[in-house]
Amino acid sequence: MNLFVPRVLGMTAFGILCVFFLVPLAFMVVVSFYKADPMAFYQETFTWENYQKFFSGFYLNVTLRTLWTTALGAVLVVILAFTAMLAIAELSRKWQLFWILVLLSLMCLSEVIVGFSWLILLSESAGIPRLLGALGFWDNPRSLSPSFGAMMIGLVMLGFSVVSLILYPQVAGRDKSIEEAAQTLGTAPHLVTLYVTLPIFMQTLIALTLTMFVYLLGVFVMPIMLGRPRDWTMTVMISDKALGDANLPLGSALAVIMLIITGVILLISLLASRKRTA
Amino acid sequence: MIRHIRITALSLLFAVSATTVQAAESINVSAWGGFFEETLAAEIYPGFTEETGIEVNSIAQPTSSAWMTQLMAAARAKKAPTDISLVADEVLYRGNAAGLWAKLDTSKLPNTKELKEGYVKLDDDGKAFGVGALAFYTTFVTNTDYSKEAPTSWAELWEDKWDKKLGIVTNPNSGLIEATAKTFFGGYEVMQTREGLEKVIAKIAELKPQVSLWYRDEGQFQQALEAGELNAGLYYHDVAMLSIWDGKPIASNFPKEGGIVSDASWVVTRDSKKIESTEKFINYMSKPETQALMARKLGIFPIVPRDSMDLTDEEFSAVGSEIEAVKTQTEIHLREGDWLESKFQEMIAQ
Repeated sequence: MNLFVPRVLGMTAFGILCVFFLVPLAFMVVVSFYKADPMAFYQETFTWENYQKFFSGFYLNVTLRTLWTTALGAVLVVILAFTAMLAIAELSRKWQLFWILVLLSLMCLSEVIVGFSWLILLSESAGIPRLLGALGFWDNPRSLSPSFGAMMIGLVMLGFSVVSLILYPQVAGRDKSIEEAAQTLGTAPHLVTLYVTLPIFMQTLIALTLTMFVYLLGVFVMPIMLGRPRDWTMTVMISDKALGDANLPLGSALAVIMLIITGVILLISLLASRKRTA
Repeated sequence: MIRHIRITALSLLFAVSATTVQAAESINVSAWGGFFEETLAAEIYPGFTEETGIEVNSIAQPTSSAWMTQLMAAARAKKAPTDISLVADEVLYRGNAAGLWAKLDTSKLPNTKELKEGYVKLDDDGKAFGVGALAFYTTFVTNTDYSKEAPTSWAELWEDKWDKKLGIVTNPNSGLIEATAKTFFGGYEVMQTREGLEKVIAKIAELKPQVSLWYRDEGQFQQALEAGELNAGLYYHDVAMLSIWDGKPIASNFPKEGGIVSDASWVVTRDSKKIESTEKFINYMSKPETQALMARKLGIFPIVPRDSMDLTDEEFSAVGSEIEAVKTQTEIHLREGDWLESKFQEMIAQ
């Protein structure tokens, strides 16, 4: 009797998931086997053509660089957020609160705003290059975007506040007696973090890196706003195909492949990390 | 008893509101979002409402292809998110082949006789599936702070004088392929075969070291050009003119091979319930007076003969040029669609 309400809630949630996630996903898989028709839209006939195009070389190439870019981004985000949180946890309560508020307000900014601010900051007419030029450090200041570095800054910026806020309670509330014990036993202070603190958080950090990896895979604005064409990720290609060329079958097929690759990578990483802890 | 009165009152209220809705008839018209849609709504549509009493709800639509994808999904559900859309040629023909557009009776569109030849798009039964709305130029724009001299040929894009600060459109339909063919290969003939197209694309690839921005968002290009982050590039003549009138250090140049001209057409959504009103709308937009007004307010190139309008020489030269234009080869883009788009994208992104 008491279980009625939670059950109804549970079923509703499941229903919503089915309608808004699984049904569109199924539709995408179906469309990915349709034949694109450049003269019209698509024909509802079965073909492997869209999947074959993926293995034509170009898309493989883009996939590899997408995986590399997002993996690098995810690792950078986690390293930066972890070290920042270690530092912030050492501050007084008041300053900790201050930084948490700053991070929270960072999360309110949309991808487009973050991208646009960096576009201005990296531009030669208004940003860092101009400042360096005015200070005499740079003879011929040039815009620093679009570039791989600019795109990476954008990606890191997006993930940084999320990861920091997840890590903060754990880092701030950790049992410091272990680190103190290590120091008492003669570990140099600067090595304590590397040999003691890091292993304690390893599991969490790996999980966060994987989450960030998946999150950054889907980022669209940063590559097109801050990256060069040769930095564009699969997300950009998929939207170009599906929306720009109205080639929904090829766009869907590329999306399905990305989904499978992401799934496989996550599975392998999970298995590997489980084995390590066993 | 009280319930009965309430129901009567409610139905009365409903009947009254229904008649008022009918009295003020309205149609939904969508056009490319931003300056374009805003100016049409503020300057052009009110004249139509004044003449016909039909209200226009202006809708901002995304780029043509993305809009077509949305209209396609709506058509499956037999819905019409808009009654009329402004679309580029490629979407006009693809949408027609997919059965997205309503067929219009040309006898209800007398003013379309004023349009230059070929702008009423007829199907095999002699019905119109689209009617030309306007044309717009893409030109060789430069930042005058950097480049005092106006370029006279598209070939100058390839010269090593832009300090690696060119901005070029990512989309293969920008007309750059056509301009390259006309400038370096003696005409559009080379575009007839894939080998020919590959040659043209290879020529465009030579621009890559000079291009710092491959853009898809107009705003990003314009801002960069005005700020001097870019020295030159391909851009829409109408928006460039607005910047110039705004006092920005920009010039919009027509090279000797011609500016690139593209057409846009009005199409009526197949499931629209207001075909008659949409025909009145298209008829109004085809009038030479409306075309002249659009040239003045929007900076677009009119598609009625020049002598039918009261545009002064100055007004006319602000929106176009007498030099024969580079024409977008829509049939080739449609025929080679997927192949060409992939080749172009690979050239840029590799």
